[in-house]
Amino acid sequence: MAEVIKVEKLTVEFPAGGAGQQTKVAVKNLNLTVSSGEVFGFLGPNGAGKTTTMNVLLGFVNPTSGSASIFGVDVRQPIARQRIGYLPELTYYYKFLTAEELLRFYAKVFRIPKDQVESRIDEVLKLVELEHARKRLIKTYSKGMQQRAGLAQALINDPDLLILDEPTSGLDPIGRMKVREIIQRLKNEGKTVFFSSHELGEVETVCDRVAILNQGELKVTGRVDDLVRENQMNLEKIFLEMIGYKSPVTV
Amino acid sequence: MMNNAFALAGIVIKELYRRKDFYVLFILTALLTLLLGSINFFNEQNIARYVKEFCLLLIWIASLVIAVTTTARQIPAEREQRTIFPLLAKPVSRGDLIFGKFLGCWIASGIVLVVFYVFFAVITGAREHHIHVAAYFQAFWMHWMMLGVVVGMVLLGSIVFAAPSSNSTISFVVILGILLVGRHLNKVADSLAEPTSSILYTVYYVIPHLEFYDLRDLIVHNAGSAPWWAVGVATIYAMVYAALFQFVAWMTFRRKALN
Amino acid sequence: MDDVPTKSSELKMASPRLILLLLLASAFSLSTVLAQWHQNWAGNRSDNGSALAVVMGDSRRIFANHFFTKADVYFHSGYYPSIFDAPKQQERSHMEEDLTQTHDDEDEDDHHAHDESCDHGEEHGEAEFLDKPRNIIDAFGRNFYITSHSHLAEGEQREMLPWLKIAAELDPQKVQTYTVASYWLRSRLNKPKEAEQFLREGLRVNPDSYEILFELGRIQRENYTNPDNARNLWELALLKWRKQESAGLKPNEFNYQQIIGFLGALEEQQGNVVKAIEYFEALKEVSPAKADIELRIEKLKVASEPQ
Repeated sequence: MAEVIKVEKLTVEFPAGGAGQQTKVAVKNLNLTVSSGEVFGFLGPNGAGKTTTMNVLLGFVNPTSGSASIFGVDVRQPIARQRIGYLPELTYYYKFLTAEELLRFYAKVFRIPKDQVESRIDEVLKLVELEHARKRLIKTYSKGMQQRAGLAQALINDPDLLILDEPTSGLDPIGRMKVREIIQRLKNEGKTVFFSSHELGEVETVCDRVAILNQGELKVTGRVDDLVRENQMNLEKIFLEMIGYKSPVTV
Repeated sequence: MMNNAFALAGIVIKELYRRKDFYVLFILTALLTLLLGSINFFNEQNIARYVKEFCLLLIWIASLVIAVTTTARQIPAEREQRTIFPLLAKPVSRGDLIFGKFLGCWIASGIVLVVFYVFFAVITGAREHHIHVAAYFQAFWMHWMMLGVVVGMVLLGSIVFAAPSSNSTISFVVILGILLVGRHLNKVADSLAEPTSSILYTVYYVIPHLEFYDLRDLIVHNAGSAPWWAVGVATIYAMVYAALFQFVAWMTFRRKALN
Repeated sequence: MDDVPTKSSELKMASPRLILLLLLASAFSLSTVLAQWHQNWAGNRSDNGSALAVVMGDSRRIFANHFFTKADVYFHSGYYPSIFDAPKQQERSHMEEDLTQTHDDEDEDDHHAHDESCDHGEEHGEAEFLDKPRNIIDAFGRNFYITSHSHLAEGEQREMLPWLKIAAELDPQKVQTYTVASYWLRSRLNKPKEAEQFLREGLRVNPDSYEILFELGRIQRENYTNPDNARNLWELALLKWRKQESAGLKPNEFNYQQIIGFLGALEEQQGNVVKAIEYFEALKEVSPAKADIELRIEKLKVASEPQ
């Protein structure tokens, strides 16, 4: 299968906050590949370097060393993002726009032909179940609706790779289920999905492969089924072991 | 690049007409002008110049407030509200973002100016029974060109200063300083000792001379229009400065980590 | 025992109301004391009917000066030096210079000639503040502002009036504002009634102003051709001038010359030769043109001698 994401020896350092402090290493020598059609779960505790890695893939942060490419194109080239859909952890959009206007704007950015724009907008709004609120200003949306509007903008260009940063955080159970259904549907359509999450049960259900990151270092990567079989424990326990967590009760 | 820039510009323009700033300033300008125009001075019906001066002053203040405040909040708001992340996750470069924001703020300022100058033409036409079309068009055009430089300058400020309020304040001080004393800096420099004199002369040559674009005196005193060749040169001068400010903004912004 | 907590809670409930009542009572009591104190402390300002005066205080005089100068800028159609241009300092604004011209009936032609010369600053001897361009920016910038000297003419002088009116509103004690506005109203805009009304407004605020009385006299003399009223007003102006002089206030000598000069000319025209000679004698004492006045006195004496 073709490699969609390729990360080689990626290191990201941030300048220290105060004088005399050392630089903070957010990601250390990371190697990662994600193949076409995979649903890839990117796991790790808070501050593990997941979002930084995603920020490098999206060109928000420049790597200190190493390289990253998407569809074989260096991530620093804007064209690398032509076939990507991205949903950030916190979804905030232009509050003075309606969902329809927002999608029209992003469609223009993706140079979707004019005669296809309206049908594409209809399609994604139907997918995320926001047809009824398409002419309402985004600022009037509930959090779940805003998250779905975010998903709609990520899908407007019919992307081959979807990068989702904790897509279900802060959503109610129904909202989570809807997002999960959408990811499943995209998987069935053969799309590649790269997403980070703290919901390990969810990851276990949806993902083909996972990578666990701790303090900027890759601890383990592999197929979910293989990891569970090899370690004789569920994903949550594997995760806790990899990050070196010891329960105070056990101690 | 142009496709993305125009898409972004469209968003800025939408933001302007959905916010209330412009409407409030226009209504205030119109009300104050009409109020002042209705005052009876010694039963003289045909006094016009003070109304023109006052109306143009209000237009200048309103346009500067709109241009500066709209531009100053663009990129900080994108970062603060995190809308910049989904945006730059699309095939939009940081250069596109800078140019698109510039274009949006500049075109939005132009639309605002058209409304204000039409109002001005109506008011003066009603009092003087004559509209100096060429002179008014020149005044509008030069004003708009000046706002191009202002928008470029404030956009650069919004990359350097994180808070829109500090950027707006500093921009206002610089812009008003140039408009009020920019023309006279060389005279002041002549009266100073070295090295202050040379420093001031350098500042005189480096700053964008925004006062070129202020044709209010010509309009108020019915002194005709400026030579068209000079308007052309001033247009190029404004474009060069606007481009310079955008280039420096892009240089500063292109490697900036967003997180 | 059960009553104790109940009373305490009642007291707790009542205390905010009690505090509110106490605060209101204190506020009302204090206001009765402070109102009287404020009346005494604020002095003139509290009596002033003008909202501008109350709001702006004495800072309004700065604005008044600005607007007075603005009228002069308008008179020059926007061609005016800034503080950076350092022109040859004029003691009076140009629009005032016109005011100080002597206006005997015979002088009308001279004044007309003056107005024509006003279109040529150099001929008029005014400071040309714009030197040759110092550099390319200076030279290029001159395309966008007024660089030629011209004056308002043919009724356009009305454009100055709003600024003079505003200046007078802001600083009613500035006598020049009234006299300058009156000059343009009566002599160029044919509005003696408005000029007189404006001067009377000024006189109400400045009852000892000999300048305003003199200007009022000119309206009577030149616009209404009422020599008796003019004489009364000028005599009153002279009285005020002398009163100020004797009080050691150093009133303007030029105005004194104008008053007695105009009075002398009026008496001469009315055939009151003795009085006319008396005024011209007084004028001779203070005027730099002693010889001319001496000649005029001689002529009067000769004309008055019986044939």
